[in-house]
Amino acid sequence: MVNPFDLRTILLAKHAQHVVLIHFPIALFITGVGLDLLSRGKRTSQLAGAAYLNLSIAAATVIPAALTGLLAWQFALDGKRLKGLLLLHVIAASIAALLVIASWWLHWRTRRAEPLLLPDFRIPIELLGVVAIGLAAHLGGFLSGVNT
Amino acid sequence: MRRKLFFAGSIVALSLALAAVVILHPTRAKSEDTQTASMEVHVDNFTFGPDTLTVPANSTVTWINKDDVPHVIASNDGLFKSKALDTDDKYSYTFTKAGTYAYYCSIHPKMVGKIVVQ
Repeated sequence: MVNPFDLRTILLAKHAQHVVLIHFPIALFITGVGLDLLSRGKRTSQLAGAAYLNLSIAAATVIPAALTGLLAWQFALDGKRLKGLLLLHVIAASIAALLVIASWWLHWRTRRAEPLLLPDFRIPIELLGVVAIGLAAHLGGFLSGVNT
Repeated sequence: MRRKLFFAGSIVALSLALAAVVILHPTRAKSEDTQTASMEVHVDNFTFGPDTLTVPANSTVTWINKDDVPHVIASNDGLFKSKALDTDDKYSYTFTKAGTYAYYCSIHPKMVGKIVVQ
């Protein structure tokens, strides 16, 4: 049995980083979208500020989470051809990552510009991102065996 | 005449049927399958079945992944390690020395098993 407190296992286990890091963009993005919906698009509200902070950190953390996922595929799974649950997970996660970054970019662009209201079309993008990230997370749970 | 033909035809058909049963029924192969099956470990539902397998020395143990997700079989002491096994992929290792060999799935470390070589 692998020692869970062994530092080499924690830091160098080929897939463990992805499983740990992925929680950050998931939680931050969903929280950011929730806060953004509550702010009703008013850029100057405190809720909008909190939403922007959460979306920014979500966008920042989605990159190392995605990178560690790719590394896990290469080193833990020997870069095997993607199929089945793993393929679905990668597709959903890729879409989710793009939508997380797109959501952040919309907020960032608006904050640099004059309008006080965030564009309405950001809502379907954010909601689609929530669906995609939820699906990717659900499939990731099956791949990691936590659902058994 | 017709009766004779019918009778002869029935005998021929019965003989062919009996021959088919004898030839196709794998009586000997079955015992070999049983012997082989005892050296197999099925990986299913994130568990090894059986989790402890006892085999004689110089036996080849085969792990078969029946799960929908990939697994990697790795011994605790670094003696053997498989590639990532997809569904229905197999990995075999021959144990030449007596002893107890603990192993786990390197992707899902909670999955553990043991091979006891006598």
